[in-house]
Amino acid sequence: MTDLAQDVALAEEPSFPSEPVRRSRLSVRRRAMLSGAVALTLVLGVLIVAAFIPADTLRVNPATRMLAPSLEHLFGTDLLGRDMLLRTTLALGQSVGIGLFAAVVSTALSVMLGLVASVNRVADRIVGVATELFLGLPHFVLLMLVAYAAGGGVRGVILAVGLTHWPRLARVLRHEAQRVMASDYVAVSRGLGRSPLWVARRHLLPHLIPQIVAGFVLIFPHAILHEAGLSFLGLGVPPHLPSIGVILSESLRALGSGLWWLAFFPGLGLLLVALSFEVFGESLRRATDPDEGVA
Amino acid sequence: MLRSLLLASSLATLLCVSPVVAAPPLVLAVGGEPEAGFDPIMGWGRYGNPLFQATLLKLDANLEMVGDLATSWTLSEDRLTWTISLRQDAKFSDGSQLTAEDVAFTFNTARDAGGLTDMTILKEARAVGPYKVELELKKPQITFTSHLVALGIVPKDHYGANYSRHPMGAGPFKLVEWREGEQLIVEPNPYWHGGTIPFPRVTFIFGDEAVALNLARSGAAQLVAVPPTDADMVPAGMHVTHVQTVDNRGVMFPTEPAGGTTDTGAPIGNDVTADRAIRVAINQGLDREALVALALNGHGTPAYGPVDGLPWDNPDAHVAGHDVAAARATLEAAGWQDEDGDGVREKNGVEARFPLVYPSSDSLRQALALGFAEQLRALGIIAEPVGASWDALARQMHSSAVVFGWGAHDPSEIYALYHGSFAGVDWYNPGFYRNPVVDAHLDAAQGSADFTSSLQEWKAAQWDGTTGFGAKGDAAWAWMVNIAHSYWISDCLDIGPLQIEPHGHGYPITQGLASWKWTCQ
Repeated sequence: MTDLAQDVALAEEPSFPSEPVRRSRLSVRRRAMLSGAVALTLVLGVLIVAAFIPADTLRVNPATRMLAPSLEHLFGTDLLGRDMLLRTTLALGQSVGIGLFAAVVSTALSVMLGLVASVNRVADRIVGVATELFLGLPHFVLLMLVAYAAGGGVRGVILAVGLTHWPRLARVLRHEAQRVMASDYVAVSRGLGRSPLWVARRHLLPHLIPQIVAGFVLIFPHAILHEAGLSFLGLGVPPHLPSIGVILSESLRALGSGLWWLAFFPGLGLLLVALSFEVFGESLRRATDPDEGVA
Repeated sequence: MLRSLLLASSLATLLCVSPVVAAPPLVLAVGGEPEAGFDPIMGWGRYGNPLFQATLLKLDANLEMVGDLATSWTLSEDRLTWTISLRQDAKFSDGSQLTAEDVAFTFNTARDAGGLTDMTILKEARAVGPYKVELELKKPQITFTSHLVALGIVPKDHYGANYSRHPMGAGPFKLVEWREGEQLIVEPNPYWHGGTIPFPRVTFIFGDEAVALNLARSGAAQLVAVPPTDADMVPAGMHVTHVQTVDNRGVMFPTEPAGGTTDTGAPIGNDVTADRAIRVAINQGLDREALVALALNGHGTPAYGPVDGLPWDNPDAHVAGHDVAAARATLEAAGWQDEDGDGVREKNGVEARFPLVYPSSDSLRQALALGFAEQLRALGIIAEPVGASWDALARQMHSSAVVFGWGAHDPSEIYALYHGSFAGVDWYNPGFYRNPVVDAHLDAAQGSADFTSSLQEWKAAQWDGTTGFGAKGDAAWAWMVNIAHSYWISDCLDIGPLQIEPHGHGYPITQGLASWKWTCQ
């Protein structure tokens, strides 16, 4: 009876697909560690493999155009005879690279704004308005604007994705900072004559770090998907470079001719990377959320 | 209900037994909708067949000039004045007479309007009789004849601000309805001087390519332009025709060494492509058939020059290509050696490496750029593909190799692409190519007494036995492919002999629309 109840409760939570059934009683913390391991393995694997493939390995060849998946070409070949496994791996490597960079930039921006907001009322107001303003704009329109203004290309994508993902995390951090600063123990520390720096280091930071880590992990899949989206629309990576967005937009034209493998494997790859981080981020948030209760 | 059915069936029987086989209304999806409407003075008809307006001359299937409104056309001794006699039975679709006044008005207005019909060379058009007109030029230019072919004559009395939406002329058709972005419906002009047209009405469908394909599959359209990837999946009752074209794509090389800048600060020149040996070797090594297979799904022909198959093409200027050994020998002889063994040749410390820019919105040019770069590796030359917007491309085109496309029924295009006076002008001659001998040939061609005698000079500009802009001479470009234009055509539709089509997919096939026939009962 208890087992059943637990199973039902667990089934309602997001769970990583490859997670074996017999481990369904995993604690939140262990789940976070497991999904983290999976996500990191995926991303590091893709990055390392992509880094070790020389850039000019991806070659066009009129003799191998539009081949269906086979032992020789596991993911098939594209309209110009390039091996899709190679192209997908390189593309994922590029996506992950851009995603990581953008997540770092966005997190750094969020932390800065979150801390600035805790200085005084005016700063808090300014950060609050800026955050709401950015959240109010449709995110993708903003992405397109920045990418276009930066002149497109890889640089445009990195800037666009990096500069537009901070508001959500910034809002969380601002609220968290406000909550901590208003608490009794901070008041006591201040009363004892502790400097604002000491308070920030000893009281504020320990509360913010879990939020920052979870925020970073959650920004990452969004950044990857947005990179793919921009390239899909032709605003991002130039079309001869490996990119999931470019591959998917190309495959759209070829779907009518029955070339399903052009969209399937790269789409699946993108989904797996994004999903693994989404699950990891969510578990991490739950594991570190004091209100959630750690088993 | 029953009665109306009976009535309908008896009507149908009546129609069936009538001795004249009536052709059905025709539905075409071949693109070609003009943004600015149907005003020849604003550029309508420059891809041929202005539908509503008649032209002085027209090109037959062999691209020979034949009279349409003109019955005779002669150039004066000083090569500055065309005297043109007009046919006297030409009427506008409202029944009024077309006279020399209308022709003079059209040419003078086009000269003053500027825009897409660049007629600044015209000094004045004068009506010297009711059916005789004189066109005086500022300087000799034999390709002025292309204006005689392309410029539809508008009625002087009906030309105004609304003309582009309500066109009227002496051409084979009159406008019924134009819904922008959707369709254009035309009916035969009963006053047309060229005979009767079998189709009671012709509808042009615009918009999405997928819509056109579906119309053809459902039997609702009789002729559609199809992209090469879909061309081979022909619906029942139709056949596919791949029309030969000069809709070409090639790589333009900067022929100046690096160092200069344009007035706007864009860099000019490239030290690698400025070496003739590099350009010649690329032309010798290029396997153009493979590019046709790679980028066009096989639906195209190798391009050896900008005007393959046109009357002014010089086959002697062509280099067959696909000869890697010859290309390597050319490079070795010129001092391009791979001394450090990295697969890339060097000469005087300069690596054989240059950027190859293509417009990133064009998947065909991307495929060609990648295929071109891939083939060049075998020669020890690295072309680095760069995808760019058209704006960015324009800033890089004087210092980088660029994938461009041209192709027109008018040799003035090769004048603009290769004459020194066009260096850096708009999109023409972006590589700053200059060869005084070629310039002299091109100028001599423009100054010819008649079009036929100009052909020799156009050909000599490509290769005159010692030099030329073609691959045997300066090899200023490496032409890659001519894109075949593919169409699905109803088995009942006979569209007669076809021209070699110019740049721009689709609309040029309607050139002979007025003489198309319906062959089914």
